[in-house]
Amino acid sequence: MSTTMKQEERAFETEMAVVGTGIAGVAASIFALNRGISVSLAGNTGSLAYTTGYLDLMGSFEKKNFAHVDDPWQAVAALAVEDPDHPLAAIDVADIKTAFTDFVAFISACGIAYTHPAEENLTAMSPVGTVKKTLCVPKTMMAGVTAYAEKSRCVIIDFRGLRGFSGAQIVANLGPDWPQLRHERITVPGMLHTEIYPEVLARTLEVPDNREVFAEAVKRVAGDAEAIGMPAVLGMHDPDKTRAELERLIGVPLFEIPTMPPSVPGIRLREMVEQYFPQKGVTLIPQQKVTKIALSDDAAVLHTADNYGPIRIVAKTVVLATGRFISGGLEAEVERIREPLLDLPVTQPETRDQWYRQQYMGRIGHDVHKAGIEVDGSFRPLAGTGKPAHERLFAAGILLAHQDWIRSRSGAGIAIATAYKAVEAAAQLLGK
Amino acid sequence: MTNDSHPEGGMETLTTRVLVIGGGATGTGIMRDLALRGIHAILIDKKDLCAGASGGNHGLLHSGARYVYSDPHSAKECREEGDLLKRLAPQCIEDTGGLFVAVKGDDESFIEKFPELCAAASIDCEKISVERARELEPCLSEDLIASYRVPDATIDPFRLALEQVNHARTINNSLYYSHTGVDRFEVENGRIVAAVCTDFAHDRNIRIVAEQYINASGAWAMNIARMAGCADVNVLYSKGTLLITNDRIAKMVINRLRPPGDGDILVPGGTVSVLGTTSVRTEQLENVRPTVAEVNLNIKEGSPMVPELANTRYIRAFSRIRPLVQSGDGGDDRDVARSFSLVDHEDQGLGNFCTITGGKLTTFRLMAEKTVDLVAARMGIDAPCKTKTEPLSYGKSSRWTEPGAAPRVWYKANNPDDYILCECEMVPQSAIDDIVDAPPEGEEVMTLEAIALRSRAGKGPCQGSFCSMRIASYLYDRGYYRDRSGLQHMKGFLNERFKGLRSIIWGQQMAQMELAEALHCGLLGLDQIDSEEVDNA
Amino acid sequence: MSEPSIPIIDFKELAHSLLPEGVSFDACLTCGLCSSGCPAAGLENMDPRKFIRMAMLGMNEELSTTPWVWMCTQCRRCRHVCPMNIDISLLVHHARGNWPTELKPRGIVRSCELARSTDSTSAMGLPPEDFTFVVEDVLEEVREYQPRFKTMQAPMDKQGAFFFVNQNSREPMSEPDEMVPLWKIFDLVGADWTYSSKGWAAENFCMFSGDESAWYEVIKQRVDAVNDLGCRVWLNTECGHSYYTMWNAVNRFGMEANFSISNLITYYAQWIREGKLPVNADWNTMNLKFTVQDPCMIVRKAYGESVADDMRYVVEQLVGEENFIDMQPNRSANYCCGGGGGFLQAGMTEQRRYYGKRKFDQIAATQADYVLTPCHNCHSQMEDIGHHYGGSYQVVHFWTLICLSLGILGENERMYLGPELAQLDVPCRV
Repeated sequence: MSTTMKQEERAFETEMAVVGTGIAGVAASIFALNRGISVSLAGNTGSLAYTTGYLDLMGSFEKKNFAHVDDPWQAVAALAVEDPDHPLAAIDVADIKTAFTDFVAFISACGIAYTHPAEENLTAMSPVGTVKKTLCVPKTMMAGVTAYAEKSRCVIIDFRGLRGFSGAQIVANLGPDWPQLRHERITVPGMLHTEIYPEVLARTLEVPDNREVFAEAVKRVAGDAEAIGMPAVLGMHDPDKTRAELERLIGVPLFEIPTMPPSVPGIRLREMVEQYFPQKGVTLIPQQKVTKIALSDDAAVLHTADNYGPIRIVAKTVVLATGRFISGGLEAEVERIREPLLDLPVTQPETRDQWYRQQYMGRIGHDVHKAGIEVDGSFRPLAGTGKPAHERLFAAGILLAHQDWIRSRSGAGIAIATAYKAVEAAAQLLGK
Repeated sequence: MTNDSHPEGGMETLTTRVLVIGGGATGTGIMRDLALRGIHAILIDKKDLCAGASGGNHGLLHSGARYVYSDPHSAKECREEGDLLKRLAPQCIEDTGGLFVAVKGDDESFIEKFPELCAAASIDCEKISVERARELEPCLSEDLIASYRVPDATIDPFRLALEQVNHARTINNSLYYSHTGVDRFEVENGRIVAAVCTDFAHDRNIRIVAEQYINASGAWAMNIARMAGCADVNVLYSKGTLLITNDRIAKMVINRLRPPGDGDILVPGGTVSVLGTTSVRTEQLENVRPTVAEVNLNIKEGSPMVPELANTRYIRAFSRIRPLVQSGDGGDDRDVARSFSLVDHEDQGLGNFCTITGGKLTTFRLMAEKTVDLVAARMGIDAPCKTKTEPLSYGKSSRWTEPGAAPRVWYKANNPDDYILCECEMVPQSAIDDIVDAPPEGEEVMTLEAIALRSRAGKGPCQGSFCSMRIASYLYDRGYYRDRSGLQHMKGFLNERFKGLRSIIWGQQMAQMELAEALHCGLLGLDQIDSEEVDNA
Repeated sequence: MSEPSIPIIDFKELAHSLLPEGVSFDACLTCGLCSSGCPAAGLENMDPRKFIRMAMLGMNEELSTTPWVWMCTQCRRCRHVCPMNIDISLLVHHARGNWPTELKPRGIVRSCELARSTDSTSAMGLPPEDFTFVVEDVLEEVREYQPRFKTMQAPMDKQGAFFFVNQNSREPMSEPDEMVPLWKIFDLVGADWTYSSKGWAAENFCMFSGDESAWYEVIKQRVDAVNDLGCRVWLNTECGHSYYTMWNAVNRFGMEANFSISNLITYYAQWIREGKLPVNADWNTMNLKFTVQDPCMIVRKAYGESVADDMRYVVEQLVGEENFIDMQPNRSANYCCGGGGGFLQAGMTEQRRYYGKRKFDQIAATQADYVLTPCHNCHSQMEDIGHHYGGSYQVVHFWTLICLSLGILGENERMYLGPELAQLDVPCRV
């Protein structure tokens, strides 16, 4: 309880230790909880903030020249034939559906309401005036999907000082097909002379008084709009209430569009995990990475630490969901790619010269993104022998090889579906 | 001097006294030299300023010491020109000083000869102890066996080019047209009467009529000369690849004291360091890109001198073609004489065409002087060269290429409404405004690349991945971009930046790239706009 | 006559030496999460991301001289939100220390000087004998006028006592009756505690002034005092930075401390669980709403979630679970209120209030009537911004509410309660 300067080691036991707090790690915790498995979650929660808020299952189909995908269920079903090594190819579509439904239900209950996975992808707007196919969006973005689909009278609002988001840009690019789209600029009261961060504005809108002032400013430029879009600033902790209240004050459906980082929907997700997951029963060690995993016949021991000192987690099963390069799940050395925590073999191009094509931003992706670890049918990572590295070890997320989550727009889908299966397999081992 | 807006035969004609082809250090130097002699010129480049070797070197203002062994004539020229430039163009120069160092295993006889050869070329060369060298530069290897101090300095070729163009414009309204390349020359009776060019930005042809035509196109000199029917220019292509570090490693220029080889020089570039170079003979002139092998070679060769080069974060690699004037054959390209060559083409039957090529960045002024001497004489103009005495002017819009300049100006101005658009290099809106308000001739809407060229935007760790969005959205707000072209510029800019990234992506740079690519594809969908491009595997 | 000027230091070199391997400025992705989450962003046109980039761009003169380093409270929220765990606040501390004393904010320097002027280590300069006198005087009065506590102790220099309790100077100097609730709590739980006439004070402005050696000296006096009395536990009063400066310094300077370092919140929670403090929420008949302020110095920068959890346990016991509304964000992700880092003494009122706007919005969003906090600086700052921005909440310490709940809060111990509670007569339950 109290301490001198000597580091104090704490230890606890759990049935499942999830390593990594990206979408896959978060999803794994959810599925564990849903199955009554005691679960701990450790990782640098900071990277969660990079997520856009969209939950993509599959937006482009790689094997058909990255064609746009309208029906992601059909697309993932086709993987079995078209791309059998893809991590989603081995998963029943029904399971993917369940996984998405359960994931969305859980986070909706934690304060960020999402649309339920539908039969087709939604088409959502981007902050630069392009559109994006995705499966689920936060409800705070949904009116934008509708407005775009119906090409209704819509005004995009941007804020003086909020860089990287221009209503003019959105209208210039979407306008040709959407004549009733226009834009307006607002100077946010009280934020006259500064660079505005969406996070700051979003938090001020959690206060009723501030909402009233903001609503007045919006109403002045709303005109006869049927929908009003803006950068993602509709509250942080309670976006649904913030949106509902502002809609009540303004009288028109509102929607938000994610911005470039630092973007609010990602920060919301992070704070949601840190706020709610402990309440729901997850033992959360936020903002700390697992530094070592030792696997034995009886248990797995994971090592991490905080300001206080070392923390030892004794777990019956481990789900490795450490992500890729941003989060450190994979490390790119000068000549090869490593998995740093367990030194699992990484399937990868032969040389660094093959990691990237010559052209960066084209339809076709880069082979470096398809590097990753191999797993068997029960999502146990394989060792160099080609056999599972350990009975207690499972893996999920974009850490897995044979998928280009970036070009396929399938990051969340891979994370959620593989986490679902990994937890299912671990549950079997646990007898749950 | 005139711009005929009633085109003959459907093509616009521009008229000037001298057409200068090639916007590198030499071409822009010629433009300024001409203006100082009262001669109007139009400068064209098929891309933009410093698109050739001028924009792809260390930025080293040679003391000349590097050439004392192989090319003493060049060494002396470098020294003299370097001194001049330090006096006349200080805004482009950082007088860092330099070191020549050798490590265990380097050729000792070469080391021994070094000081006397420097002396013979009148280059200040001071022997210092290796302890002293390591005191001055702690990044140097512990295996140092010899060290000398020389008056190397660094020069910003982009700023140089911008200032020269700007100065010429200010003096006599000489003009620079970017993205304009020569297709053919119209020749009559032993004289070129016009250059028919493609204006790539506007997808049209224009005709430029001049009295004199100067080919200062560097590595492309042979191509241009041949267009004019001249077979007397032979240029060898030597590809050089260099790397840029995230962080400035050394204060001074650090040269390897051995026969010139790969990865020999580490040059400070404001807030970063530049390591290079390699040298590979090639037939390919366009689309040269750094290869992984070249990058690895530079690091391997440079690390014995400065060990942290093996572990440091690199943010960019770049390649350019050195034009080497062919004199003999065989041997290392570094042995080919680096002195320049001015060809008057009289024996090719042309009286108003000349080609200046070869040489090096440090001696551009001298090359320009000799060229303009020839051309002025042909025009019967008896005005002396002024570039030895006239200081280079300071243009309002030219100052933004200097690393750290924009943030200092911004900080001092303390204007909270002047938002920072490139956070890595801290380039504010006002700098972007300055730049787009002074575009090259005929460019109503500059690309992000053109803007980045004239500033530090996109040159920091994120290499444009974030600032491209902020700058593009700002330009849309300004009404500068009004349609999809802004997005296309973003994509083009990012693809351009990537050419320098591809070969150095590992470690922290990999994390940066992953975030960028996820943003550009997943959030922005830039990979899918205009995606009918040819797969360049 | 030469004016003192601030020496220029090389921030890039400083970063290399201070930041752990792999977590250096090199790892920065320039994503802006730090700036986005920093309440000091925008002051002096500065923010954490700009700080890093300016260091990398060699803008040492600007960084060495910017007053922003006095507006960053070193709350470490930047590091907390950074996906790369980069700690910008470490450099700010050194930047402060680099300023010549004459140029540092006078209020902070003065507080440090006063702390070193007597054996008390009090930033208000209250010498040991005066402190002793005030304690005795107040104790006497309580014994006389509050019969329930006629045998209560407020030990001074008791050798071998279990708890060495520190004291923030504000109470004995300006509101001595505010010391009493804690004495009552100790009395109730039967704690074996003592004050010390030497090294008794809690606050530490020497750390805020960036003066490492002065910081060390002040802590040394305190550590010596605890060692001398042979106490087992140094128990930190409801003061945020006093905990942090002690805990961090002993580690940093490798001091020999023969005692553990703990804080009141942890013990409140324990005593409530043990039944020694039988608080409950019955008094809260008006269902007043409470929120809690997680001081950066105790939560994010030190203990982390465990003490935040204890705090919430205590609050919920005190006011009723349904009457507790958490601020958002909270715990380690909480915003610094702007009272720390010496901001309250720095004389930069406008900037401090700009900084505090985020805290005000956080509180306003909860619509709470009261903010409970175990930190004096948070207390003062939240009160000030409350007045400035037209809030309607009160700020109280835990001891006040604990005593109120138990029906033992004296008449003169209610200065921070709002009108509805100031008059509330709660039957004594112990």
